[in-house]
Amino acid sequence: MRTVAERTAPESVEALSEVLARCDRERRKILIVGGNTLNGMGFPPEQLDVTLLTSGLAAIVAYERSDLTIAAQAGATIQMVGALLAANGQFVPFDAPRPQYATLGGTLAAGWLGPRRHLYGRPRDYVLGSTIVLADGTIARAGGMVVKNVAGYDMSRLYVGSFGTLGVLAQVNLKTLARHPCARVFLAPLPERTRTRACHQLEALAIRPAAAFWIEGFHNAVDGEAGPEGRVVVMLEGSEALLERATRDLRSALGRAGVPETRIVDAGARESFERVIDSYIASLGERSVTYRLYGMPDESERRVLALQELAQRFLLRAESIVDVMNGDIVLRVSDLDAHALGAKIEAFDDALHEGEPQAQVVAGEHPHRVYLRVWGAPPSSIERMRALKARFDPNGTLNPGRFVGGI
Amino acid sequence: MLKERLIDALGSDAVKTAPEDLAVYAFDAYTDGRLPTAVVLPASTRDVSAVVKVARACGEPIIARGAGTGLCGGAVPIIGGVVISFARMNRILSLDAHNYRAHVQPGLINLDLSNHVASDGLFYAPDPASQKISTIGGNIATNAGGPHCLSYGTTVNHVLALEVVDDRGEVFTTSCDDPGYDLTAALVGSEGTLGIVTSAWVRLMRLPEAVRVWVAAFGDIDAASAAVSAIIAGGIVPTALEMMDAVITQAVEAAFHAGYPTDAAAVLLIENAGFEDDMATCESAIAAIVKEHGALSWRAAHTAEERAALWAGRKGAAGATGRIAPNYYTQDLCVPRSKLPQALRAVEEAASAHRITVGNVFHAGDGNLHPLLMYDKRRRDQVGAVVETGNAILRSAIDLGGTISGEHGVGWEKREAMTRVYSTADLATMARVRDVFDPQRALNPEKIFPSGARCAEVTPP
Repeated sequence: MRTVAERTAPESVEALSEVLARCDRERRKILIVGGNTLNGMGFPPEQLDVTLLTSGLAAIVAYERSDLTIAAQAGATIQMVGALLAANGQFVPFDAPRPQYATLGGTLAAGWLGPRRHLYGRPRDYVLGSTIVLADGTIARAGGMVVKNVAGYDMSRLYVGSFGTLGVLAQVNLKTLARHPCARVFLAPLPERTRTRACHQLEALAIRPAAAFWIEGFHNAVDGEAGPEGRVVVMLEGSEALLERATRDLRSALGRAGVPETRIVDAGARESFERVIDSYIASLGERSVTYRLYGMPDESERRVLALQELAQRFLLRAESIVDVMNGDIVLRVSDLDAHALGAKIEAFDDALHEGEPQAQVVAGEHPHRVYLRVWGAPPSSIERMRALKARFDPNGTLNPGRFVGGI
Repeated sequence: MLKERLIDALGSDAVKTAPEDLAVYAFDAYTDGRLPTAVVLPASTRDVSAVVKVARACGEPIIARGAGTGLCGGAVPIIGGVVISFARMNRILSLDAHNYRAHVQPGLINLDLSNHVASDGLFYAPDPASQKISTIGGNIATNAGGPHCLSYGTTVNHVLALEVVDDRGEVFTTSCDDPGYDLTAALVGSEGTLGIVTSAWVRLMRLPEAVRVWVAAFGDIDAASAAVSAIIAGGIVPTALEMMDAVITQAVEAAFHAGYPTDAAAVLLIENAGFEDDMATCESAIAAIVKEHGALSWRAAHTAEERAALWAGRKGAAGATGRIAPNYYTQDLCVPRSKLPQALRAVEEAASAHRITVGNVFHAGDGNLHPLLMYDKRRRDQVGAVVETGNAILRSAIDLGGTISGEHGVGWEKREAMTRVYSTADLATMARVRDVFDPQRALNPEKIFPSGARCAEVTPP
């Protein structure tokens, strides 16, 4: 990335509008930066004249505790919002990695999907309203602070996952949930012979775990005994009474699958869970690239084994996280150094996308990243997406070239 | 010309043009519009695509229609056009119980889906009161809610992917797991103005292992609504939290003998679904709050039959008001949940100022009010009073930080009222999406967007 001429961090929506309108008029291209946690996603910008930081818009606008709603500016960090909510017995289940840096706007714009969504729904379903500034400086509001609203198109949901290419989110209004009184994490080794049964048992539990992972590698990042075998990490959430029963069920389910000793973490359970989420985007600098794949829970085991085999063929070290409840796969491939990785990564990327055309890159700083299919194959509706981009940002001012299909 | 080409494409049994056949398609549950030029009953996505191509070639707009249960004129033709009825596209195409999803056609009746998957221990969560007749396609168009969306979310939370026919008759698909813009989310709730959904992949949920239903009765509405606000403020979000006032419970009891007390000013119908282990705690927490707010009585439904009767009464409430007045007009507004007492007071004041009998039956836990305004269509003075009452209620909702529709949609009814909640810039931003998907305004024209003439009042029912 070449040196940028201008960095700006507007401190009001009006100032943001002025910056965008001016750049748009002058055909200067803008890179939008939140907490820089998901900058391993997307193509690098085609052209970059102005770096727009959302850090100047980081206030809590309104917290309606008794309505279970909160309005915050896009630059507020997930941790800051989360801490305020937690102090009031509430939360939003966004499961963003590195929440101390990740911003609300960045997490939503990147369309981040966390492991608890099978239980609580997608982040987009928590967005009740928004204020966005379009490339031409138009300030547009959508939705409001009510939990049900069908007055017109649901623009806020469209902005979630739009990667800053339709406009710059300035404020989002969110629905919150009451926080569960208890969380408990289970850690166990997952020898190969127990894996298939264990995953099936986890999926079939009557009290669904909030999250369940089968992890290979990531030894320093994730809790658990180091060793050659995979590990299982399960988090339960709920009342004390419910967790008592869920613990019994989980232990006997894992026991039936032949999983050896299970260690329980009560104090620090949520932190333990967060370390797994952080690993989704943990990069080894220039010597790793991390892919993410979505799919059906009953296919993830077969798929991840195929991916590991593929990486082995390329003599790449492969580490993986399978989100058992949703069927997501995170795959980190690495080599001894940037040079060694650089010699293989493009061929690996080609081979990977032959079998998994939708695989996306989510982390990694290798210079060859620019040659990879970071969004996977474009979806069938790509032309409609281009048309949408053209209607919202005709001059291609915002995050040019970074999104799907080079939008 | 249009008729012949449609018959060429679909066969004569799938095309209706006789005025007596068209008349029924000029209505929905809100109002009557104009007669369509033709009504077609496609059997496949290909048929829909062919219809759109023919209609466009003949300069006719297209209106997709489910069961016609909409409450804001969303499915009525305003300037003629071809109505596409999905009555023949009503099948479950595939069921993947293991991965909790089903692929369905838009004409499938909402409740039929839940009934079909019940043997797999699953259900489809969105449950509008119309669910015995309304269709999944119509529910998608309006992003329909229902009592249980308090905890399960509205239709958009349960739609995973769509197959859509666009304004030129081309087919495209969207999936919420696709990279790129979330077109699925944009299409849900767009009231047929961005494309015509020809099939949908929807999310199914596991049937809960334990369900409890309670009824709390109150001596005044204020106390009941304050109790609702307090329950939510306490962080307790049951599966459903409904309120009915005395006008409604009396009509419901006369019609169904559902089991509601008739001597209370307001009752709350509360359901919690989940795990047995949590039920006692949940019950004692809610019971404590309602008692603190002066509840006259608190009772649990002990059997599945009792629960079903209470719910049947709740879902049949609007129909039961036929005993009070020949006609009723349902408003739909949503306010922040802590503002419920003020919102209900405003409804009461507006109705009594215009001498209109009002019955309240609504999703209290969501702050989503449904005042039913009773009147006699044959009396002009009453029609005028109902319109004014409805407008006053919407104004009060906006003043309280609320919105003009929580779950029924904008349709034709509320399009002028859109200017009261959104600025010109806000609406122009929405219109950019329309420009991409339907630049000629051929899909369900004259809906959602204000007509341009800035008449800010809602049109008569």
